[in-house]
Order: sequence, then C-alpha cells, then structure tokens
Amino acid sequence: MQPIELAWLIPVFPLLAALILGILGRKMKEGGGYIAIVAAAASLVLSILVVVQVLDGSFDGADGVINGVYEQSGTWISLSPTYKFEIGVYVDQLTALMLMVVSIVSTLVIIYSISYMGEEGGRKRRYYTEISLFVGVMFGLVLANNYLEMFIFWELVGLCSYLLIGFWYHKPSAASAAKKAFIVTRVGDIMFMIGIIILFTTFKTLNFRDLFSMEVSGSDLGLLTLGTFFIFGGAIGKSAQFPLHDWLPDAMEGPTTVSALIHAATMVKAGVYLVARSFPLFVQTPETLIVVAIIGGVTAFMAATMALNSPNIKRVLAYSTISQLGLMMLALGAGGYLFYNSMGSEGYTASMFHLMNHAFFKALLFLCAGSVIHAVGTEDIRLMGGLGKTMKVTSFAMLIGALSISGIPPFSGFWSKDEVLATVWSAGSLSWVFVLLYVLGIATAFMTAFYMFRLWFMTFKGEPGESSKHSHESPKSMTLPLVILSAFAAVSFLVLFIGSGFGGTVYFEEHGSLSIEGVLSGIFSDPLTYVSIIVAACGVGLAYLVYYQKWISSDVFVSSNVTRAVYSLLQKRYGFTAGYDAFAEKIVYGFSRVVDWFDLKIIDGIVNGISFTLTRTGDYIRRMQTGRAQSYATVIIAGISVILVLLYLLGGLR
Amino acid sequence: MIPIEYFLALSAILFAIGAYGALTRRNTIVVLMSIEIMLNAANINFVAFSSFFNDASGQVFALFSIAVAAAEVAVGLAILLNLLKTSDTIDLEEVNTLRW
Repeated sequence: MQPIELAWLIPVFPLLAALILGILGRKMKEGGGYIAIVAAAASLVLSILVVVQVLDGSFDGADGVINGVYEQSGTWISLSPTYKFEIGVYVDQLTALMLMVVSIVSTLVIIYSISYMGEEGGRKRRYYTEISLFVGVMFGLVLANNYLEMFIFWELVGLCSYLLIGFWYHKPSAASAAKKAFIVTRVGDIMFMIGIIILFTTFKTLNFRDLFSMEVSGSDLGLLTLGTFFIFGGAIGKSAQFPLHDWLPDAMEGPTTVSALIHAATMVKAGVYLVARSFPLFVQTPETLIVVAIIGGVTAFMAATMALNSPNIKRVLAYSTISQLGLMMLALGAGGYLFYNSMGSEGYTASMFHLMNHAFFKALLFLCAGSVIHAVGTEDIRLMGGLGKTMKVTSFAMLIGALSISGIPPFSGFWSKDEVLATVWSAGSLSWVFVLLYVLGIATAFMTAFYMFRLWFMTFKGEPGESSKHSHESPKSMTLPLVILSAFAAVSFLVLFIGSGFGGTVYFEEHGSLSIEGVLSGIFSDPLTYVSIIVAACGVGLAYLVYYQKWISSDVFVSSNVTRAVYSLLQKRYGFTAGYDAFAEKIVYGFSRVVDWFDLKIIDGIVNGISFTLTRTGDYIRRMQTGRAQSYATVIIAGISVILVLLYLLGGLR
Repeated sequence: MIPIEYFLALSAILFAIGAYGALTRRNTIVVLMSIEIMLNAANINFVAFSSFFNDASGQVFALFSIAVAAAEVAVGLAILLNLLKTSDTIDLEEVNTLRW
C-alpha cells in the first residue's frame, strides 16, 4: 500500500483528537494537550510520507495518478447523472506543499502551547479541542477535490477562527473581535459561494479535475471571468485583503499561539491557496488577474504603512501578515497575467515559495512575540526594551525571523520576495499597471525592513522598559519550537536547490529553472535583485539609526503638521474601522429598522387583521348554536322540505 | 279495495302530527311518542305499497322497522332515565348545555 492512498487519514487524526478532547478532555492532565500533540504529530508523519511520495520521481507513474494528480473520490450527492457532488482527496504538488506547511507549523505551535497556555486551567480543554478541530479542517480544506467540499471546510476553518479569537470571550474586545472576524470574512464567503454557483450552473461540475481540463470559449468565458472574480472575493475575505483586511489586526485578541497558527501561517493562507488552486481557471481570465494583482499590491503597501507606527507587538506582525499575503496575491496576479501572454509561469512558483517561507518565518515571529508577552505581560513595545539580555534565545530567533521577512540574504525571505518582485517587474512590460505595482512592492519591501527592525530594536535593545524588569527566558517547550522554526526560516530557501528545485516541483504547466547554476545566475545577474537588497538594507539601517543609535529622534515622525496628520491617519487604520462601524450603524441598522417597521406594521398587520375579523365573525355566528335539540330538528326539517319543494319544482322528482 | 291514495294521505297526516309533536312538545316522553308516530307513518307506507305492488318485501321491511323501533325506544328511555338522574328534569328546553 502506498502512503498516498492513506492521504484521507491526515485530517482524521486531529478531528478524532478534537472529538476525544471535547468529550473526555476535562479529566485529562494538561487539558489533554498531549493528545492534540500526538494527533498533530501523526498527521505530520503521514504528511511527510505523502509529500515524499509526491516529490519522488516515480509519482507520475503510480496507481491512481493522472497528470501529476492523485485523486480518490466517491459520489456524495447525486441529483441526476449529470448533476452530482463528489467528496474526495486531491493530491498534487500544491497540496503537498500546503500539507507540509500546515503539519509542521501546527505540530510546533501545539507543543509551544503546552507552556504558553499552561496557566489557563480549565479552559485548556476548550483550547486544545478547538485547535485540533482547526488543524483537522485545515487539512480537509487543503485536500478537497471539489469546490463544494472545499467550501465546507472553508467555513469550518472560519468557525474555528471565530472560536479561537474569542477564546477569552469574557473580554469584550475579544468577543467583538471574534464577531468582526466572522462577519467580515463572511462577506468574502458569500462571494465565494456566488462564484461556486456560477461555475456549477455554467459547467455542471465542481470537480477540480473536470473544471481544469475544460476548454472554455464564447459566452462561457464571460461567465468564467465572473466566476473567478467572485472566487477571488472569497480569497479577499479569508486572506484579509483590501478592502476586507480590517478584521485581521483585531483578531490579535486571541492567544498568540492562535495568531501564529491561524492568523499567520495557515488559515489566512487559504485565500492564496484558493487562488493558486484555481489557477487553471484564473489564467483564462486576464481581467480577474489584473484585479488580483492590484488588490494584492495595494494591500501589501497599505498594510505595511499601518505597521509603521503601531505600538502593539502583535498588531505589527498582523499588518505585516496582511502585507505579505498581498505580495503573494500580487505574484499570482502578475504571474497569471504573464502566463496568459505565454511568458512563463514563474509567478505561481514565486508566490507559493513565498507562502511557504512566510508560514515559517511569520509563525516564528509570532511565537517569539508570544514568548516575549509571556515574559513581560504586556503587548506594548514602548514598555519593553533591553530584553535581549535576559531572553537570548527568543531575541536571536526573532532576529532571524526579522532578517528573513526583511529580505536580507541569505535568509529565506530574500529569495522568495525577490522572485515575487521580479515577476511583477517582468509583467511591467505588458502593462503600466504592473510597473506601478512594482513600485508599491519595492516600497513595501523598504517599509517591511524598517518596521520589523523598529520592532526588534524597541523590544530587545536599548534601556529596559517598565515591564521588562523581571523578564526571564521562556521554558524549553517554548524555545524548542522557536529554534526549529528559526532553522526553517533561515534555510528553507535550500529547497530551491535540492533535487529538481522548488521551481521544478511546485510549478504550473511549465517547469522553472532546474539547475542550481540556473537559479543562482538568474537571481544574481539581475540588477533588480540588488535594488531590493539595497532597499531592505536601507530600511534596516534607518530603523537602526532611529531606534538603536537614536541619531535621529523618532519625534521627526510627528514634528510637522503633515507628518502628524499621516501618523494619526495610520493609527486610525485609514479610517476603515470607523468607516465599517459607521456603515453598520447607519446603513445596516437603519435598513434593519425599516424592515422591522414593515414586519411589525404591514406583515403582522395583515395577519392580525385577518384573525381579528375571523374571531369577531365567529363571536356572532356561534350564537346560532342554541343547544336546543328541537330547534336543530326544526331547521333540518325545514331544510329537507325546501329541498323537496325545489326538486319538485325543478323536475327532479319526475 | 281501498285506493292507495287514502293510505298515503293517512300516512302523511300521521307524519305531520308526529313531526309537529316532536318539534313543539317540551316533555321528552311526548317527543319520543311523536317520533314513534312518525315511524308508524312510514310503516303504513311500506305496507300500502306492498299490497299495491303485490310484493311481500314491503311487509318484511315493516316488521324490521317495528323491531328497530322497539330497540330505539328502549335506548331512548334509558337515556331519558339518565337525564332525569343527572339534571333532575325531562324538560327539553332546560337540556341545552351543549351550546356556545
């Protein structure tokens, strides 16, 4: 038996763990955290076996593998021979990549949780149940072989996200953040659903296999454009892209481990994964691809600006997550546009490479932030400082993460960010829009380097702040995942060079460069590479001067009226939060009041009017029932007599 | 031979008397008796047509009808006794609890 035939078991382990913990967890030690770890580790082992088989050269010839895709499915609902829904698993290189990322990060995060959540007492059972459920449904989402199945898991990860953001639901801010995340992503989910309906009515199937092998032409192409556009709408919600990005910073109200796993490494990647999974459809619709690229670029830039002056350690990372997800979308949009114009598909590879690297370094950064918060008990970086002395492991791990996300070679972030920007630049030859987006991308790279090192310097260097007096290094079970993840963050670029390379493994239609020399010379002979290195170095340098050497006082950012206005605009998140609140209060609530009035006065009025008339009429008519047998008999006899007379007169008796 | 019209006229008169009694009398026993008169009006019709058409089945039906009437009186009187026991009256005007 090949491991890949057991791929369906991967989500089963964590789901089973969630079930066991949900029912029996109360009696277990540590709230049953060890069961969650065992389940995640079992999934990790199975994922590794599956991934090894997918990467194995003989994968294409194995049983059940057609065109590089292993599929196992059965009919779920059969409406008619042509209309039916399937349920099954779909494993290709993209699935393998996601399996790898999800299983590694989730296992490490749950191990980390044992210490981080150690003081939560009776709430631990709920935490482990929900996080196991999340891991299970995330695997399900990744393995789904059709849009309907994917949508079901899509909603379930949304549910888990809601539950875990609201983990401390007794805090009003956490409760409202959970609701916000749920409702805002629901806007995207509705669009995703509309997209699915459009695809189903147009092509009569939701199976990836059938949809991706379809030749689309004529009026169907217009519907396909509409369908991909709405599917991208789903991705906007889940991946917190502009203009539905506002929920992710608030989602930081949940435990830091949840932020690391769900709101940095896995669930928010589902949107990017959705676009990548639907890539065969997207590349047929250039209009949607331009929208994807623009939304991605704008999101990357906007989120990076908001991260510049946030004082909250987790929110900086949240903005940074949004920004990096924007870069992935940008790469997918630009790469798809290039492919549409027969100029290769490196954008797809670049985006997926960035997705993988980002999962590692962002999970690392979040867990480091968690370690810091655990030590100092605050999330405000203005109250920290000087932690580098007491928390050596954490500060070193976070430095690796920061270097990686800033794009400093040779850390992994450099390689993928560079490829993303290179894709956008080469798409610039097709349309001026991409040149603009490239500029946004470079600006984002600069800001990323700046705010990450602002964060790092303010947290770990300088004079000890108010809260950092009694800081201490976190326990082993927290630092161990940090060390492992920092190893991944530092060296995950090596997959570019192992075997046939990342470009030769995760690709769309066309292989990327296969040889080490090809990859290296491709990157280092390009002047753009040096531009992005210099820009990143400038960002780090500026942060060094302002927040470490203090040659430039950070007051320059609020000294003049203009900069002060910009500063407060960024603090207000461009007014999106207030705007959404006003929208909810004025428009949604106003409309609800109109509907309420209509319901109370018109609908209820009609119903009540009818019943009132009937009861009053009944009141009068019931007096005919006198209860006297003789009057009834009189009526009967009179009636029969009338009938007889009528029959006689009309001739019925003759 | 008496013409059939005479029988029918007698039967109609008897039926009308019975119906009038059943609808107007307040004493339940009298009402029962009036109903018996109406039944007998129908019996006269049976017998008259039986001899008119020379067919015995009419007489058979009349006998059946008498037997049924006897049973009916037994049931009726039983109800009447219960009525007297529970409400202490046999006045139909006062037995009107089954109403609005």
